[in-house]
Amino acid sequence: MVEVDQFEVSTGRFGLVQEGLPAGLARLLGPYLARQRWYAGSGVPGELRVLEGGTLVELPAQARLLWAVVVANDHRYQLLLAERPAEDATRRVAGHEAATLGSVEGRAYYDATVDAEMALALLEAASGGAYKAKVARPLGAEQSNTSVVYDDKMILKIFRRLAGGPNLDAEVTSALARAGFAHVARPVLRWRKGGTDLAFGQEYLAGGTDGWALALTSLRDLYTPEPLRGDGYKDQDRSDPEMRGGDFAAEAERLGRVTAEMHLCMAGAFGTSRDWSTSWSSLLGSLEADLRHIGEDMVGAARSLLQRLRSLSDLGVALRPHGDYHLGQVMRTDAGWYVLDFEGEPNRPVEERLRPTSPMKDVACMLRSFDYATSYATRFQMVQAEMAGAGAQLPELAARGEVGPRASALEPLAQAWKERNGDAFMKGYQSCSGIEELLPADPADRETLRMGYELEKALYELSYERAFRPEWAEIPLHALRRLFGGP
Amino acid sequence: MSMAGTARVSGTASEDVRWYQRAVFYEVLVRGFFDKNDDGTGDIPGLIAKLDYLEWLGVDCIWLLPFYQSPLRDGGYDISDYWTVLPEYGQIADVAQLVDEAHRRGMRIIADLVMNHTSDQHPWFLESRQDRTNPRADWYVWSDDDQRYADARVIFVDTEKSNWSLDPQRGQYYWHRFFSHQPDLNYDNPEVADTMLDVVRYWLDIGLDGFRLDAVPYLFERDGTDCENLPETHAYLRRLRKEVDSLYPGKVLLAEANQWPEDVVEYFGAGDECHMCFHFPLMPRMFMAVRREQRYPVTEILARTPSVPEGCSWGIFLRNHDELTLEMVTDEERDYMWSEYAKDPRMKRNMGIGRRLAPLVDADRRVGELLHSLLFSLPGSPVLYYGDEIGMGDNIYLGDRDGVRTPMQWSPDRNAGFSRADFAQLYLPPLMDPVYGYQSVNVEAQMRNPSSILHWMRRMLEVRRQHPVFGTGTMTVVSTDNPSVLAYVREPAGGDPEAQAAGVAGSDPALAAVAGFVGAGGQRGAEATPPDVVLCIGNLSRFAQPAMLPLQRWQGMTPIELLGRVPFPAVGEGPFFITLPPYGFYWFALMERQGSGVTADVGPAST
Repeated sequence: MVEVDQFEVSTGRFGLVQEGLPAGLARLLGPYLARQRWYAGSGVPGELRVLEGGTLVELPAQARLLWAVVVANDHRYQLLLAERPAEDATRRVAGHEAATLGSVEGRAYYDATVDAEMALALLEAASGGAYKAKVARPLGAEQSNTSVVYDDKMILKIFRRLAGGPNLDAEVTSALARAGFAHVARPVLRWRKGGTDLAFGQEYLAGGTDGWALALTSLRDLYTPEPLRGDGYKDQDRSDPEMRGGDFAAEAERLGRVTAEMHLCMAGAFGTSRDWSTSWSSLLGSLEADLRHIGEDMVGAARSLLQRLRSLSDLGVALRPHGDYHLGQVMRTDAGWYVLDFEGEPNRPVEERLRPTSPMKDVACMLRSFDYATSYATRFQMVQAEMAGAGAQLPELAARGEVGPRASALEPLAQAWKERNGDAFMKGYQSCSGIEELLPADPADRETLRMGYELEKALYELSYERAFRPEWAEIPLHALRRLFGGP
Repeated sequence: MSMAGTARVSGTASEDVRWYQRAVFYEVLVRGFFDKNDDGTGDIPGLIAKLDYLEWLGVDCIWLLPFYQSPLRDGGYDISDYWTVLPEYGQIADVAQLVDEAHRRGMRIIADLVMNHTSDQHPWFLESRQDRTNPRADWYVWSDDDQRYADARVIFVDTEKSNWSLDPQRGQYYWHRFFSHQPDLNYDNPEVADTMLDVVRYWLDIGLDGFRLDAVPYLFERDGTDCENLPETHAYLRRLRKEVDSLYPGKVLLAEANQWPEDVVEYFGAGDECHMCFHFPLMPRMFMAVRREQRYPVTEILARTPSVPEGCSWGIFLRNHDELTLEMVTDEERDYMWSEYAKDPRMKRNMGIGRRLAPLVDADRRVGELLHSLLFSLPGSPVLYYGDEIGMGDNIYLGDRDGVRTPMQWSPDRNAGFSRADFAQLYLPPLMDPVYGYQSVNVEAQMRNPSSILHWMRRMLEVRRQHPVFGTGTMTVVSTDNPSVLAYVREPAGGDPEAQAAGVAGSDPALAAVAGFVGAGGQRGAEATPPDVVLCIGNLSRFAQPAMLPLQRWQGMTPIELLGRVPFPAVGEGPFFITLPPYGFYWFALMERQGSGVTADVGPAST
């Protein structure tokens, strides 16, 4: 029996001890499904079909861990349910109302991941007995999966939406680890049925913080005045983030280096393509079409940027990108930065996510994320208190273009932070030996390529924000103006 | 003696040979502590007169800076006679009395010993330099040119250009890793190696409880190396340790090796070299963590700190008589520390920063308390620097490293109560500035004020003493999404009988009396004492912070805050939620509620 702190990669094992779900359970599934964050539809599904299911583990005290795959609105979902005598269940589901299905004939049913004992049984079953943990800690549901941490050593991601076939994240992470990339959490368990990934276990990055939280910590320090030091009444120059305690540049530089290593390993694991100008041209074509979304005042400048992008003769190579690279996908640990979540942008079709692009795409997306962090901190985090004090609602003020005097005062600081850390990130990225093989030879071409992907990303952000968070649209608009050479 | 200071040190052998693992050390500059004979310089009788104070404070072991005969061109680290005491400080008999008086109060005394080099005024060197054939010709490292050992770095880059200096009398170059007036002894000469063991035996016979070994990495030199950490140096330390262990059990050797932890750990050997080593890189990183408002500077250095052999401990400190040591941080981090803490170029000293703790943190008491809470709860034995317990300042306009060596401030009286000599006669002027001067910062005033930092310090040391797990336990960082929060659990290492026996409440009777609680993780059998488990949480930010701590392993336990013994809501099934004020920190004992009739319960318990 291997404890979870003695990792050996396990391929996992799928097996049911008994086929079939209890009668009467099926009618409880729809309302439960509708409450889950990973449910793609809205409202209780009109039709729900149990594709397969049965008992995964028999536990003491007449408890069972049930497993099922159901289909609703053309999506397949993996369910892991606990069955216990109703009197035993009450205590275990307290505070987890959304996870509760209800009772049938004195038996209570609820989501097994909220029940530590069930979660421990799941790990043992999924690993074919290879792993056994003492403490299970559910992390709560994300958009497409549910995660459980075992003994603070392993994290098991249970995929909720099953695409059928390998899971992109499990596949890429495993390939990168095999290629020697030290900055992914080590894969230790792939639980599969047929060719479909059901769950993916990785080393748990204890003590980690995501890059977004760390960047906001730095910005919080930069944006909040410090008492004067030294003599006299002369204010210290506060606009230089380098002189501030929360400086992020060293982190950004290390992150850049890790990003370059990731791309080199991607190239090693999935290969590169030299001839990809067709897909670059089609990207430019779609960017041009998207320009109709931006204001008339910017179209002229946008077209001249597109012209520069079209005239690029050296594109470097294309490779499998991370595909959804931002500060929330990287984690700072005691051993430096780690990269997470290789599923790509969940809202894009899989074939598009797999398409090789220049590594500059990930670079551009991370730089956009730096911009989002500063803008988020400037326009929302810092201004919120001020607005609440004025009794005003943030969205309506923002919609009128009034984001408060604080925000505009902070703008130069935001700009300085973004520049300093963007430069540091690029410095780290380009300092990684071998990376030049993947990029255009001329640094000016690299820059242009990056601007192309920043344009793509900002246009995507603009359409997303306009659709879902109109008050945020100013962030990509501002970025576009700068990209086109504006202030 | 770890138990509430009730035990007394017998003076020779002690039953508690691992005392140093639970001890709190206090670094004293004899010159600056108290002047008994009114000559303007502190002395050993003066220190004896203040032992009651140190006992009251809760100090376990006093570390004396060098008190040997010396021309004092490097604060006594330039010894010119190993067998005598600097006359200004007293005589051998005073040292013997100091040891007795300290032992009577349950305290121990260790002293600096400089083995690597002597003063150029030492008779050995005066003899050695005369010619190339005298009996001590090979007691130092001589060479015809200054090209040998070219890979060895120059440590005091501000003052020295080379590790070699020409001696015109002998017409040869002599080797010195530090100042040119401190020639390195030649340990390849068996007479030197033997003589230094004689020195050690001499002082242990007088009753010292051990040594802080200065500059140990540099004892030997070899071609083609950087002349640091050589195997020959380790072999000599093993010989020294064997000698000490066999003749003087219960004595401690504390190594000063300013290197990365993975190299320093070599000085523990296999538990057969030094008992303790200073952990240098942790110190600047504690300051950096506060400045960055995130825990990674601290947690990453702890993550790369190897575990130490059984019976060994780190010595950890915030400040000492030297600079804020920056040798062990990267160039970029060093620039950063300079820009943050030493805007004034005068504050730069060699590769470090010559400031005391309080001015380093802009006299922010909250930061000082947070840093001390880390110092007292991270793995290792804390070393305090005299005066930091009252928040003393420094005088950067004094030369060299004297800025942090000004007289201890005992009272608002003349000369800070340090000396009754004429002011002009003092070895250094006491601080008189409005913020840190002795009129406002002194022991007498702070003893009268229950909310002073001195009383806070004493209380912290008391709590620490009640929980031996702070000295000997393991440390596990508790994950939290908030990078500004540093949380960790100290637990008894497997098979640490003393910590196990100390039990949940340590030796704090009041905590034991909090009705109905027993310690975390224990079997509840009457025969088994549950172990002492302490949870430490600190907020490194200047803003209030929330934290969600995954403490599920201790589900059902009640955290009891150790300073006030206040029970907090029990750890539930979900993450433990806590808020911290700016620079706030908590120490909690994790205890299990037992039976009914709990009177001290507060808050919603989820079990």
